[in-house]
Amino acid sequence: MSAAIGHIADRETGRDTLARARARAALIPDLLVEANRVANNVFTGWHGRRKRGVGENFWQFRPYVQGESMAAIDWRRSARDEQIYVRDKEWQAVHTIWLWVDESPSMLFRSNLAQVSKQSRALVLAFALAELLARSGERIGWLGVAKPVVSRNAAEKLAQALAIAPIQERLPPSRDLRSHSDLVVFSDFLGPSEETIEQMGALARRGVRGHLVRIIDPAEETFPYAGRVEFLDPESGERVRAGSAQSYRDGYTDLFAAHGLAIREAATRLGWSYTTHHTDRLASQALVAMHGNLGSVPAAHARVADPASTYRRV
Amino acid sequence: MFGLPLSFAFPWLLVALVSLPIIWWLLRLTPPRPRDEPFPPTRILARLVRRDETPAKSPWWLTLLRLTMAALVIAAMAGPVWKPVEPVATGDGVVALVMDDGWASGPGWEDRRRTALRLVDEAEAAGLAMVLITTAGGDAQNTAPASPRAVRERLTGMENRPIRPDHAIAAELLRRVDGEATIGSVFWLSDGIGRTGTPDLAAALNGFDADVTLYLADGNRLAAINHATNDPDAMIGEIARVQTDKPATFVITGIDEQGRPVARQTISMVAREKSADFRFDEPVEVRNDITRIVVDAADNAGAVRLLDDNARRRLVGLISGEKHDNSQPLLSPLYYISRALQPFADIRRADDANVAAAVPELLALGVSALVLADIGTVAEEAEGLLAEWVSAGGMLVRFAGPRLAAAPDNDLLPVRIRLGDRAIGGALSWDQPRPVAPFETTSPFYGLEPPQEVTVSRQVLALQEAGLAERTWATLDDGTPLVTAAKRGAGWIVLFHVSSDATWSNLPISGTFVEMLRRVVSQSQLRSGASAADGPQSLPPLRLLDGRGRLGPPGIDAKPLVLASEAVRASADNPPGYYGTEDGLVALNLFDGDAELDPLQPDVLGGEVRLASYLVDEPVALQPWLLFAAASLLVLDCLAVLWMAGLVRQPLRRARSAATGIAAAMLVSLLAADPAGAQEDDIDFSAALQTRLAYVVTGVREVDEVSEAGLRGLTRFLINRTALEPGEPIGVDVAVDELAFFALLYWPIHPAADMPDAATMARVDAFMKQGGSILFDTRDQVSGALGGTSVSPESLALQQLLSGLDIPPLEPVPPDHVLTKAFYLLDSFPGRYSGGDLWVEQLALDADAGERPARAGDGVSSILITSNDLAGAWAVDEQLRPLFPTVPPDALQREFAFRAGVNLMMYAMTGNYKADQVHVPALLERLGQ
Repeated sequence: MSAAIGHIADRETGRDTLARARARAALIPDLLVEANRVANNVFTGWHGRRKRGVGENFWQFRPYVQGESMAAIDWRRSARDEQIYVRDKEWQAVHTIWLWVDESPSMLFRSNLAQVSKQSRALVLAFALAELLARSGERIGWLGVAKPVVSRNAAEKLAQALAIAPIQERLPPSRDLRSHSDLVVFSDFLGPSEETIEQMGALARRGVRGHLVRIIDPAEETFPYAGRVEFLDPESGERVRAGSAQSYRDGYTDLFAAHGLAIREAATRLGWSYTTHHTDRLASQALVAMHGNLGSVPAAHARVADPASTYRRV
Repeated sequence: MFGLPLSFAFPWLLVALVSLPIIWWLLRLTPPRPRDEPFPPTRILARLVRRDETPAKSPWWLTLLRLTMAALVIAAMAGPVWKPVEPVATGDGVVALVMDDGWASGPGWEDRRRTALRLVDEAEAAGLAMVLITTAGGDAQNTAPASPRAVRERLTGMENRPIRPDHAIAAELLRRVDGEATIGSVFWLSDGIGRTGTPDLAAALNGFDADVTLYLADGNRLAAINHATNDPDAMIGEIARVQTDKPATFVITGIDEQGRPVARQTISMVAREKSADFRFDEPVEVRNDITRIVVDAADNAGAVRLLDDNARRRLVGLISGEKHDNSQPLLSPLYYISRALQPFADIRRADDANVAAAVPELLALGVSALVLADIGTVAEEAEGLLAEWVSAGGMLVRFAGPRLAAAPDNDLLPVRIRLGDRAIGGALSWDQPRPVAPFETTSPFYGLEPPQEVTVSRQVLALQEAGLAERTWATLDDGTPLVTAAKRGAGWIVLFHVSSDATWSNLPISGTFVEMLRRVVSQSQLRSGASAADGPQSLPPLRLLDGRGRLGPPGIDAKPLVLASEAVRASADNPPGYYGTEDGLVALNLFDGDAELDPLQPDVLGGEVRLASYLVDEPVALQPWLLFAAASLLVLDCLAVLWMAGLVRQPLRRARSAATGIAAAMLVSLLAADPAGAQEDDIDFSAALQTRLAYVVTGVREVDEVSEAGLRGLTRFLINRTALEPGEPIGVDVAVDELAFFALLYWPIHPAADMPDAATMARVDAFMKQGGSILFDTRDQVSGALGGTSVSPESLALQQLLSGLDIPPLEPVPPDHVLTKAFYLLDSFPGRYSGGDLWVEQLALDADAGERPARAGDGVSSILITSNDLAGAWAVDEQLRPLFPTVPPDALQREFAFRAGVNLMMYAMTGNYKADQVHVPALLERLGQ
């Protein structure tokens, strides 16, 4: 008998949440370093909100549109020619971004095809994102662990808080979530998709903009099993025995893709972003993609595109 | 068992087969354990995997495989035996074996003997006495009951005899046995042929109150050659076989004296056919070469027909009127006749020139034809003999000639001859020499092409008389007879009207002459070589047939063949074979037209007979095969389990690692099995590809290290100073390694080294004899040199070592030895020590020794002995620094030690070539350069 393809990382801690939390706390400093490294890789080109809004910095001049507040007119600029201009400022409202990492046992899974477990990768991504956002001056909080803070070393603070926080297997009650705040969820979304979608809907109705990062172990997607295998669900303990596993490969990969598609469609419907990340890829890839998602104006929040907003700050 | 020739040693073990259903149930219950895999998306997978399809049991074929395996093991444990020996019931009383050991028992004799031995075993186990009666053994057999042990001894060496068995005698013997003891059971191992005495034997058997078991042989392949004769146009014979209901095919081969098959015919006989004729249509020359006719693969003496001279070539006697003149053979009247007759006839010349004496002599030899070349008058008594012989069937061939022409009035001529001869084309003749006319249809020569080139210039002429035309076999084109013939009684008289040499005609030197003579001679009859008139003739046995029909030297019980007037039949005293001498042998065959092979009908014994068949094969124990099959299935099972566990799915890496593992295991086992062999190959290769210095590994580590370092130093020195560039030095194990690649072996002597065994010393001796040299180094010059009064342990060891070698006389290197001039000019050969001599083979003293600057024997001294520790002086480390100081410490001495090494090496590699080199100036001077 050969060694199994998949492993549950830190399996010796089992389901003991406290022990797992301790193991996680021990892991966090390393992850933080790794997160810093990843963040530094990605930071080049990372920039502010790059859209007009309430702020202090000049963003652009644009022609006055009938009906706008007269107070918005920049008379000094308007005096130069016959047009009347409105002075736009860059949107600088400090944004609240909540992070949350799924820590259910299924996240502990790591196959031979990947270097790290899903949880490890999710934490790295979360800390790296926190680091990046902190550098941008955002308010960052960890749902159920730490309230949003604006701090240069927010990532460290979050990490410290997380180290002593209980394990979170489910999305905690969203009391702190306000409208217009962003929520980044790192999870494998392997729970029932209906449940996940329902939760997402409830959050979206409260005006929360969500970003789903789905962490996938390559073994979960490619199903490299063959022969007589008994599969064990680490969460429910459910066992499924396959006489010849290879015969289920095609059917399984279809189902798995459909599961992901369902979540993705629900997210798109809510205007949430959806990113998949495989644990055998570089963490920075996911980070770059998330940066794009966080920086873009999702459809649900986008205002009417302004055809005149071609004047940029020089 | 079950109608199969199968039995079990422990049949009750087969009861275990009942457990198979239980095994089946257990196997179904305990499937192979699956691999555990934690898998988070199990929930998704669970939607796919149907519950009812997850196999909780093994696949049916795996179960079947394992059940088969279990069944095989159970069956193997029960000890199955294929074709078992049927138990032979032996009752009380003496066990009588009646064995047909005549000619017909040849095929399958081993089976018969094995069967008989089996019966002996049974009797021995039952503790019964036995009597063995052989039907071909004659009536002088021991009929007293004997122990089975004695009977077994008799059987073990017994072969069947090439003679006819006599059942009547066997019956007589059996009755005699019955008079001495009570016969409990009778086993008749018959050859399947019924004979005249068979009813008698059957009656005897039925007369006892005994169980009778009859072993019947399959007579389908049994065939005998009934007779064969070499007729003029073909060899005709008949084979007889046992009348069976099956068709059979026999291949009959004619074999010549050298054992080569020269004629062959295949004969198919239908069911119930008893005999068939065969016929060899080969040319007479080929047929005449046949010395025996055999039925292929018949394996018995009756299937061999031996032919002697009588059946082969005609014996032709030659008598000439002229005396033999061997100096001019072409003028001899018999020369052309004997040349023409030789291909198809045996020629006998009269020893006596006197015709009157020669005729009876030749007739006594039994000639078929007698050629009288140019004999005019035959003496009275000889003429009477000849006339008698001709009328008895002799063929008298006469040739004309001056003498016949001068005395034609003779009874022994086919026609009346005119006195004198007729010359055609001579000086007094108008005619040209006449050619031969085409042969008439009535002539025996008809069919031959009349030779166009043949002309006749002289002939004797027949008187014209009635019936001349009928007597004429050949004529000239003018109608005068050339060959005439007349029948006298059973024989013929033939007259060639020309002489037998080329003076009268060129007929004798034409090819047609050969053909004509052949036809004339084949008209003659075969005659028996020994005439009955001589009285009984006794011929010693020469080569006799054995029971299988093979010719061999006669046994001790074969008696001389006495040729009486009536035909002699082969018997125990006179087995079939050749009698007489190589020059005149007589063949005695088993059958002479009287082979009647009737199958033995079991019902002659009445109803109270048990039929059995011979043991054809040894019983085969099936247990190892079954166990092997089970083991194979086990391997299959393992493979199947591996496959089901998905291991075979990742073939590449695993296969590679498995292959590596297997290869490593094989390598290890190989090395473990024959490390010396592997090493030998290694050394052989490296030593064969490059010249290398070699030392003998003594097994003492420090000595070997010094040897290696020393030879390394010498190698360096050689590379630097000479054209010889040897490879790295090598240590050889004289017991194992091939020595042929080395010119010089350095052999340090250490008292602690293992003394080589005799086989090793034989190898060393062979190495030295084949041109190799060995430099023994006792390294003890300081402690006690060779030639000193005290004897060091090294010297003792060397003495002991050399006691196993063939050592020539030795001497210290003389000043004019080629060793001193082989490369450097040296007068001593120092090593670490400088005092010791170098001993070499003693050179023969030359007469001109004084004039030559260097002497060398033919070749190189195969042994060199020093005590100076040469290797110690040569030894260098990696930086080429000397390892040991010289004694006394002297750099020059080391230099000379190296030079000594160079000279030794050059001497070993070039031999006396260097001795010849010293003559170069003289040679050049002689060449005028």
